[in-house]
Amino acid sequence: MTSFPAEPSITAEPGVSRARRRLTWARVGRASVPYLLILPVLAAVGTILGYPLYNLVTLSFQRYGLFELIQHSGHWIGTSNYGSILHDSVFWHTLLRTVIFTIANVGLTMVLGTAMALLLVQVSAWLRVALTVGLVLVWSVPAVVAVQIWYWMTNFQNGVLNYVLGAGEHDWYATTFSQLSIVTALIVWAAIPFVTITVYAGLAQVPAELVDAASIDGAGSVRIFRDVTFPILKPILLILTSLSIIWDFGVFTQPYLLIGKEHLNSSNYLMGVYVYIKGYAEADFGRGAAISILMLLIVAILSVFYVRKMVRMEAVE
Amino acid sequence: MKRRKLVAVGFVALAALVFAIAAGGVSGANKAKSITIWLQTDAQAANWAPIVAAANAQFQKDTGATANVQYQSWGTHLQKFDATLAGGNTPDVIEMGNTEMTKYMAAGAFQDLTADKGTFDNSSTWLAGLAASGRYNGHLYGVPYYAGSRVVTYRTDLFKKAGIKVPTSLAQFTTDGQALLKKFGKKGFSPVYIAGTDWYFAMSFVFDYGGSIASRVSGKWKGALDTKKSIAGLTAYKNFFNAVSRASKTTDEAHPNPYDVYAQGLAGSIVGPAWYSCCVGKQYTAVTGQFTVPSHVKGQVMPGFLGGSDLAVPVGANKSLGEAWIRAYTSNASEKALEGIGNIPNTTSLFDNSKINERAAARSWFVPTAKNWVNVENENILRNMLAEILTNKLTVKQAAQAASDNIASILNAS
Amino acid sequence: MISAAARRRRSGRQAAWNVLGIAVLVVMVFPVYWMVSTAFKPDNEINSSTPTWFPTDATLSHFREAIAGVDHPFFWNAVENTLIIVGITVALSMVLAFLAAVALAKYRFTGRKLFVVLMIGIQMLPQTGLVIPLYVVLRNYGLTKNEYVLFGVILTYMTFVLPFSVWTLRGFLLGIPRDLEEAAMVDGSSRLGAFVRILLPLVAPGLVATSVFAFVTSWNEYIFANVLLLDQSKQTVTVWLSYFTGTSRHTDWGALMAASTVIAVPVMLFFLLVQRKMRFGLTAGAVKG
Repeated sequence: MTSFPAEPSITAEPGVSRARRRLTWARVGRASVPYLLILPVLAAVGTILGYPLYNLVTLSFQRYGLFELIQHSGHWIGTSNYGSILHDSVFWHTLLRTVIFTIANVGLTMVLGTAMALLLVQVSAWLRVALTVGLVLVWSVPAVVAVQIWYWMTNFQNGVLNYVLGAGEHDWYATTFSQLSIVTALIVWAAIPFVTITVYAGLAQVPAELVDAASIDGAGSVRIFRDVTFPILKPILLILTSLSIIWDFGVFTQPYLLIGKEHLNSSNYLMGVYVYIKGYAEADFGRGAAISILMLLIVAILSVFYVRKMVRMEAVE
Repeated sequence: MKRRKLVAVGFVALAALVFAIAAGGVSGANKAKSITIWLQTDAQAANWAPIVAAANAQFQKDTGATANVQYQSWGTHLQKFDATLAGGNTPDVIEMGNTEMTKYMAAGAFQDLTADKGTFDNSSTWLAGLAASGRYNGHLYGVPYYAGSRVVTYRTDLFKKAGIKVPTSLAQFTTDGQALLKKFGKKGFSPVYIAGTDWYFAMSFVFDYGGSIASRVSGKWKGALDTKKSIAGLTAYKNFFNAVSRASKTTDEAHPNPYDVYAQGLAGSIVGPAWYSCCVGKQYTAVTGQFTVPSHVKGQVMPGFLGGSDLAVPVGANKSLGEAWIRAYTSNASEKALEGIGNIPNTTSLFDNSKINERAAARSWFVPTAKNWVNVENENILRNMLAEILTNKLTVKQAAQAASDNIASILNAS
Repeated sequence: MISAAARRRRSGRQAAWNVLGIAVLVVMVFPVYWMVSTAFKPDNEINSSTPTWFPTDATLSHFREAIAGVDHPFFWNAVENTLIIVGITVALSMVLAFLAAVALAKYRFTGRKLFVVLMIGIQMLPQTGLVIPLYVVLRNYGLTKNEYVLFGVILTYMTFVLPFSVWTLRGFLLGIPRDLEEAAMVDGSSRLGAFVRILLPLVAPGLVATSVFAFVTSWNEYIFANVLLLDQSKQTVTVWLSYFTGTSRHTDWGALMAASTVIAVPVMLFFLLVQRKMRFGLTAGAVKG
């Protein structure tokens, strides 16, 4: 790190005091640069999220329904909201279901995405371009549109899926497992492009010399992947996995629209849907705020591993 | 110094962009008085929009102010309404579904229109079932707008080929259905396509047999689905469904829409709103007819769910202008035009016995007028009950008992 | 020297990989193909129980209905609004995020770790709970009035785009060798000046990559746009699209698919334009971070 000229000693003659003052101001100016640089971001985020965050926390301790919303004031009830949620078996079942759902989604996304990246390496150049363009096409479809297409493809009357599988009029939305499987398929399908393209870029970083050296030594492709490729990919995989956990845990649009509000009930809620229905559709905003805070804490716990690594990356510098 | 210049440039660019947007967005600020109306997108259709335009013109003539109609989506308009109730800028008039009214009336979302009731056309002959949804604690908060009932839309050619006539009783309807099944029973064909969890239709059976969903007993709600009569109705529904519908037992009436099934030629008849005849597919429009759902009692109409909308003036809105617009839009002429495009008008004085949807409205039922009723719908209590009954997961009695208790606890929650 | 047999084996292997690649391509792209082909099919083919694989009877009527139909007004307004919102969000976010990322990657200062944690924490917030308070906040700032509402939405989108962008750009910056900066500094330029002059071109691919993520997030956003943009003439394309299924009456599937196809086009174009740069960008940042 570039170092500044050493500070003159305190016992210097008065003649250098002006120079010293200029140096001090310059130092303060230089020290304030990073703060000035992050100020716009803090300002943008703070002015918009400051009040809502404060509001969310304070609402969670209040009784705040539609009536209170219109009156613009609620009743303080301490931790009652949290109490009633934590005592509700639906909350715990939903949490368990969401954790399993998240593990399944993140697992499938990462495994399939990485596998597809490895495939990209192996295929001919023309096919690589076609696949990349295809992945980009998938990535560019907005979630609301993707839900419509998938519903259309899986509906029991004339969906393509039933036709191709010869499954007659099978209703894919009849059981919870089936519903969440279709939702998983949709989410994984939409998430793969991001993972594949990122991992592929990472694979391009693996030095060819290392791979060649390993194969000359007699290592099979699995060994090569485990010993050479994987360690280099690890940071990317870490970032992608953690992002996926955060996004998949709180997912709302796909399950809500694909399963449909007519089919949603306590046996197939996911956390994102649960907070919407219990808090906002039923206009119990205090309870909704409490559930939101709980979700924030839970997802923070689930991803603390990544957060620590992020913060540690700072210190390594 | 370079650094400061850079940061300064950054901020100036930011400010410039801000002003650019702000300036670019300023429209003609010199506007006459204007009110905002929230109507559902149904009114945006080609045959409906002129009625709205006529009301706007009438309103401008009466008050000199302009009406700015913003169309809303059924799935999202309540969330937007909640946001405006919290932060201000509520619309001056809002269309609410009749089942959505009670919750908002109880929360004090609307202004009291009782004193001005007489100024609305036909207020003395308002359709009772619809008008009830706009009243709370004896006060008027919502002006009835239009209603809809349920009828059977059927394939006249298939009926003819099977040699059956329009049924006058539920039993006859069932045998008719079985005749259709015998003659046309190919894969996926339903003589009467009914979505398994279509509670609007299923509850008609409950009311037809004299039961109900819930009733208020000394201030508290008591579930009524587990009464003998209700159970008889539910059992009749189960038998009817099994005899004549090949729809999925767990699907609802939006996935897929019955008229889509009809348009594919996979339904001999469907039960639903009267306006279905518009959308049954080009090849079948000529051979489509309608009749009222027959009761289990011969010659009577089965009570049908009376859907519909009310118009209300939210708190914080311009009451006199809002009422003026509602007055123009629910005027006799306007309601007559609404009737002309297939809706049930808000007044019995305009009723025309030749119109099938109005005949069907002669016997109707409505959901319990409780402020928490919407939560029962949100949690799909009735749909789950029907799915359990039809898939034989539970007996009719067990499912009805569970649902009844559930409904009571939700309705009684504070 | 590779024997003829070995060469054949290798090309056989290659062919096998290619076959797998084609199969994967078909499966992945199929839903998008289904959307586009349905947009061209006449109504009877859309409704029929036997799917039509290729629309031989192609019709443009759904496109006409979707864009110009009386039932679906404000299409061009929606496109204009969305382009303005997304364009400005991405541009402003990249500038601000770059500055903040430089601070995080190249300077030591107290509160640095806290700032990083904040950037991650914001991404964990469940958005449902923020919708109504956010509306109230923007209304208090006067940003829900029609003249300023687009700016209100831009600010909102920025708060959700900035954390991820800061995070990602920081990763790219950490990967750039120190000696390049040191060399520039010897010339006597100020530290920040050196950073901007040297780093900006090196991190350009990273900026492109991050801007693509920002573009997607803003383009697809629906929850906030739906509540904040109350006036139909100010709505974005995702809100405009929601009206196709928002009525209790007839859902025109053909028009819906046509509308969806049209809306996906600008996004696809943007991607195809930048996708080559993006692969380099992700390389530079992700691994070294």
